Amino acid sequence: MTRALVAIRSVSQRFGVDGASVPALEAIDLEIPDGQFVAVVGPSGCGKSTLLSLVAGLRVPSSGTVLCDGEPITAPMPRKVGMIFQEANLLPWLSAEDNVAFPLKLRRVARAERLAAARRMLELTGLAGFETRLPHQLSGGMKQRVAIARGLVQNPAVLLMDEPFASLDEQTRMVLGDELLRIWSETRKTVLFVTHSLNEAVYLADRVVVLSARPGRVVDDVAVDLPRPRSFAMTSSERFGVLKDRIWQHIKHAERR
Amino acid sequence: MSRVRWGQVALYAAILAGWELLPRAGLVPRLFVPPLSEALAALVADRREYLGSLPTTFGEILVSYLIVCGGGILLGQVIGASAAAQRMVLPVLRSAYAVPLVVLYPVMMVWFGLGSESKIAFASIYAFIPTLLTAVAGVAALSPALAETARAFGATRAQQILYVSLPASLPSIVAALRLGGALVIVGVIVAQMLGAADGLGFLITRHRTLLNSPGVYAGIVLVLGITGLHEILLRRLERSVAAYRQA
Repeated sequence: MTRALVAIRSVSQRFGVDGASVPALEAIDLEIPDGQFVAVVGPSGCGKSTLLSLVAGLRVPSSGTVLCDGEPITAPMPRKVGMIFQEANLLPWLSAEDNVAFPLKLRRVARAERLAAARRMLELTGLAGFETRLPHQLSGGMKQRVAIARGLVQNPAVLLMDEPFASLDEQTRMVLGDELLRIWSETRKTVLFVTHSLNEAVYLADRVVVLSARPGRVVDDVAVDLPRPRSFAMTSSERFGVLKDRIWQHIKHAERR
Repeated sequence: MSRVRWGQVALYAAILAGWELLPRAGLVPRLFVPPLSEALAALVADRREYLGSLPTTFGEILVSYLIVCGGGILLGQVIGASAAAQRMVLPVLRSAYAVPLVVLYPVMMVWFGLGSESKIAFASIYAFIPTLLTAVAGVAALSPALAETARAFGATRAQQILYVSLPASLPSIVAALRLGGALVIVGVIVAQMLGAADGLGFLITRHRTLLNSPGVYAGIVLVLGITGLHEILLRRLERSVAAYRQA
């Protein structure tokens, strides 16, 4: 058996809200092997993003442990884990290449070296020629490509994506989904991808983890047995529909409560 | 030069030409606005008196500027960083801002006398609140998402300030400096006009009392020069700020 690259062991998370302690995640157990593309779906407010921020080291769980490569995560580990947010969150005064190079600047990598790395990543994400543009000169989809390049620039083993395409229009979302699969097949990262879109989850992932309504628990863990490379035609195949329906049953039930 | 730039030059030239020609043509009474050349001639003729008023004026502006911008921007950073402090302090500041503070000037002359202290006190109080409000707005507009992103990529607290918070708030700091400086200049000149023994505003008032309009406008030309100098310095600062942010 391949060793899990990311292991989430009996993790629970509670938040203090107005003096009361509200559970957000309860007893989550997940083992994610190296190179797997995992989508996390669930009803609104189920703690999907919280789960991601635990793996990112932005929070420490109330109980349980999160391991990356066997090492407990208690603080951000940017060289092992790259993060991509719903908004691109680029520094507006820096050019695309300087934004991509920013994580390396934090580690005091020399400017020439970090810019060379940034340019390679921009080429990988299809932005060659846009290196010196400022964020406001880029479209929403291009900004998110810059954010993906920034997430990849330190060559982390794990890529965390928190609804990265949610604020884009549908066409851009589909193009970027295919781009992400291409990048993933070239780099073989382990991806943890939070999304609201069942289509996106089934289309992109090897495996879809379904969380319940708050407090989030794992209610299903669906292996997506569609062949790779994925194609748009598969989204209208019977198997695609069956998988999507199985996930939808959980969420429909939860959203109705 | 671009067309816009040419247009600007033409506009300035038209204003100056109007200043010179409209009084000469008798369209504006010379007592209200004397021709530009007469104002400049008065400035040259009485240059000792005018230049002699500048050290006092600049000194008062400089001290008030330090109080207003130093205090206002620092306090703005503190208040802007806390939502609770903003809720508590901002309504009070906004209503205080609406008070025409010039009514306090006679009181300040009683407290601080006819010398520089009363000018500095008035200009500082006059400019402090708007400068503070500008600084607070700038800090409050900082996106917490950017700080969070930097943290996810391993930024230390010091790096978050150096690479994210500081560059993000520099434009609002420059905006606060610009507003604070402009208001301090107004405050000092007005205070000198209302009661002083020295300074540019005092000269303007004295010439006005004597109905010596060219003398009044000679003083106004100098005031315009001071605000112009302030603007030039700020544009330089803006350029170096932009360079720092991209470094």
